[in-house]
Amino acid sequence: MKPPPLLLGATLLFWGWQSEFLVVGAILGVVLESAQLIRTRWEFSDEDFARIWTFCALLLLASALYAFTANEGPASFGGFFSDANPITTTRASSATARTASAMIRWLPMLFFPFLAAQTFSTREAIPLTVISLIARRRWKKLTPADQSSPLARLSFHIGYPYFAATLLASSFHPAEDKSFFWGLAGLLTWMLWAHRTRRVTLVVWVGLVALAVALGFAGQRGIGSLAGYLQEQNPQWLTRFLRRNIDPSHSRTALGQIGDIKTSGRIVIRLRPKAGSAPPEYLREASYRVFKSPGWFAGSLKDDFEVVGEDPPNSASFPLLPGKTNSASINIACYLDGTSTNGSPEGLLPLPTGSGRLENCPAYVLRKSSLGAVVAEGPGLVLFDALFGPGLTMDLPPSLNPESNEDLYVPENEQAALDEVVKELQLRGQPPAQVLPVVAGYFAVKFTYSTWQGRDRGTPGTTPLSRFLLENRKGHCEYFATATVLLLRQLKIPARYAVGYAVHEPSGSGYVVRLSDAHAWCLVWNETQQTWEDFDTTPASWIAEEARNRSPFRWLSDIWSRLKFEFAKFRWGQSKLRQYLLWIVVPGLALLLYQIIFRRGRRRQASKRTDEGFITQWPGLDSEFYQLEKQIATRGVLRKPSEPLNEWLRRVAENPALAGLQEPLRALLRLHYRYRFDPLGLSDADREALKQVTRACLERLDRAKP
Amino acid sequence: MMNLPSAREVYQKIAANIGQVMQGQSAATRKLLAALASGGHVLLEDFPGTGKTTLAKALARSIDARFKRVQFTPDLLPSDILGVSIFNQRVQEFQFHEGPVFTNILLADEINRASPRTQSALLEAMGEAQVSVDGERRHLAELFFVVATQNPVEFRGTYPLPEAQMDRFAMQFTLGYVQSAEEVAVLTAQASHHPLDALQPCVTLAEVVGLKNAAQNVRISEELKRYIVDLTGATRTTTGVQLGASPRASIALMKAAQALALFDGLEFVTPEQIQELAEPVIAHRLVMEPQARFSGLTARGVVEGVVKRIKVPA
Repeated sequence: MKPPPLLLGATLLFWGWQSEFLVVGAILGVVLESAQLIRTRWEFSDEDFARIWTFCALLLLASALYAFTANEGPASFGGFFSDANPITTTRASSATARTASAMIRWLPMLFFPFLAAQTFSTREAIPLTVISLIARRRWKKLTPADQSSPLARLSFHIGYPYFAATLLASSFHPAEDKSFFWGLAGLLTWMLWAHRTRRVTLVVWVGLVALAVALGFAGQRGIGSLAGYLQEQNPQWLTRFLRRNIDPSHSRTALGQIGDIKTSGRIVIRLRPKAGSAPPEYLREASYRVFKSPGWFAGSLKDDFEVVGEDPPNSASFPLLPGKTNSASINIACYLDGTSTNGSPEGLLPLPTGSGRLENCPAYVLRKSSLGAVVAEGPGLVLFDALFGPGLTMDLPPSLNPESNEDLYVPENEQAALDEVVKELQLRGQPPAQVLPVVAGYFAVKFTYSTWQGRDRGTPGTTPLSRFLLENRKGHCEYFATATVLLLRQLKIPARYAVGYAVHEPSGSGYVVRLSDAHAWCLVWNETQQTWEDFDTTPASWIAEEARNRSPFRWLSDIWSRLKFEFAKFRWGQSKLRQYLLWIVVPGLALLLYQIIFRRGRRRQASKRTDEGFITQWPGLDSEFYQLEKQIATRGVLRKPSEPLNEWLRRVAENPALAGLQEPLRALLRLHYRYRFDPLGLSDADREALKQVTRACLERLDRAKP
Repeated sequence: MMNLPSAREVYQKIAANIGQVMQGQSAATRKLLAALASGGHVLLEDFPGTGKTTLAKALARSIDARFKRVQFTPDLLPSDILGVSIFNQRVQEFQFHEGPVFTNILLADEINRASPRTQSALLEAMGEAQVSVDGERRHLAELFFVVATQNPVEFRGTYPLPEAQMDRFAMQFTLGYVQSAEEVAVLTAQASHHPLDALQPCVTLAEVVGLKNAAQNVRISEELKRYIVDLTGATRTTTGVQLGASPRASIALMKAAQALALFDGLEFVTPEQIQELAEPVIAHRLVMEPQARFSGLTARGVVEGVVKRIKVPA
């Protein structure tokens, strides 16, 4: 199938306009469409086309190399190979993206020689074997009889593939307006018009095309508006469905909600303790200071974030607490589910209490807050080593001013219930060292863990927390943690509300943490040690309670989770696999190249061998007549491959400029035919005559030159 | 042995003689004589009244040879063509009465109206140049040339010839309607009497046999043999063709091209003769797939396409 006249020229012009190569596009278009005026055609063989194709391929390689170097490719990849860290990886991938987009924009230029060769050649179609090694190989395997069949040699016209490539190249356009869409629609309509079926009437055809264009327009507009609408929506509204919503500035609890708390058994974190390290009990994501039922808030320290290390980081090591000695190390893998303002994945890192340093962390930017939350911006999946130890934590010590100290703030409506508990336990005036065991014992003995909250409204005007403390005495971890924090604060012991995960489920050489292991507990200020300590009053039965909700098919989802994890590791470059892959690909390509060269050598030998079996060197191919044919072809009378010489001579005679040559040419053709097709061949005298007459004809042709 | 110029003269004489009767059919005459000189048989397929029978009769009258005509009908029996043994009461033994097949030129008119059994009786004679009657082989004349005519197969009351039998014919071609000026000339010529009646033999049987032998001695190069094989081979793999041309087609094409080269005054075959004969020699042997037939692809179109596609030696 051949594109209609002028379509490719117009497409090239469109490409030039869209990708800012207007002059180039115009020149290419004019050169191509000049074929409508210039009638001269060259006769290219398959071999010639194969050479031109190789030339185009080399051009592509060379320009790829150029684009790669122009886009700082070598430097980025040099860094990527010598020191693979998130920064060099990002640089390398953006260099790759720039190279690829430049290559696609250049495609019409790179493959123009091939298109021009076909346009200006006598051939309507080029066999696929010219460009495809696979087709060539398959063709070689056929028997000679099958090889001569036209079916065995699929042919194509480069016109439409080139058309498609040019449109693709135009799509990489800097222009933001609608010109690309309408140009594309126009060119495609033109193409379809040339091949429209005559079965349907013109009206129906135009109607259908208009409908298709309208649908396309609506579709691209619709996708744009949907994206805009979703961006305008509160992203949290969406993320609530997707994951546990953790925000360093506030945490909504389920306090006061009726019904069961449903948690999923999905694995969210994987831990692998380094040799000799005990796993941490808790992985904290954030802590909060101010309780406003039903939520906990970061209070005045909400925006107190500082960048850890340098920005952008120069190494994968982030000192959270410079100077801290860390006794344990653990490898943590977690997903970054949020999205930062610049579009890359972002999330809170679950860290053991007392983390002092992160190693091998692929984050682009790492920020920590004075409430111990660490926000990482990086790939969707991060694997890092957390070094931690008892003692100092990232958290800011409680402020010394008791009036404005948010670590001692208790909402007024909760104070009555808390006072009642303090009275019941006779804790007023006791030192913290004695208060904590009593509180822990109180919650362990008198309270039960339950994810179910009944409908009993209790005394009107009471808060959910006071009902938990005084009436039903059962609830989930958020109740226990909130109650404990407020109870300690009522006793003037600074405390904070912490959220994160409990680590308890071994898996292989490490641990897995599921969404259902999400937990809330309490941070208590140890005045003597000057550190914040974890204090968990939720009855230990909560883990068993959660386990009761476990689905019998959880092993299946665990396998799935593992697969997704491995894939995410690969996708976000967190495994060495990607680098290995590159090192595999490079020798693979070299091998392929070697094979191509090697095969070429073998083919040369093979073709020699077949030559012996079958004569392709027919007699008389050195006839001088061919020079004459070539000369006349330049005058515009080209012989088609299937046209016998006699017919061609008749056409030559029709050309007024060559009419005088008809008789000598006829005589010459008789000699030539005898030389070529008479098994007896020509006598020496006749052979000489063939030479002489040809020379005479050539001279006459020269004289007749206008 | 006849030399080339005199053989060519024989051709020209017959062609001129036929030309007196058949206006505007020189191309058809050329093909018919090429088949005669190459020892093949011809199947003329055309609408009734286009001059098939006249052409065959004109050929027969031009040569001083025996000519028989069989009008094929559905009730025709093999013995009506081959001959029959009849018991002679007087001499008390069976005597063989030769059928019309024992002749030099046989016009088998409307061959596809006879039953397959009768058709094959004739076709065996064509293929083997002999007939077996009552277990006895009888050889036919040295010059045995069958011109069969048939109405287009879609016509009512026809038994289409099987592919194997179509293959026996060296060539099949049509005459087609002549130009109106020529048709007027036909009317003028036949106004008082039929010109066929006035036609006199212009060559002897021996001369025609000489022509046949001379055609066999026309040279053909290996390259052109290869070209012939390429052409027939290509029909076997073309889409839409169920059954391609057989090697018998290649042989027929070569022999006919040799005869044609002789007519053109050449001592060797050139690609022009092969291209000219490719369609009449190959097309009728192709069996098209039903789908291809419905989509309008004809055997003739296939051969034309093959000729256009295969690079001609030059």
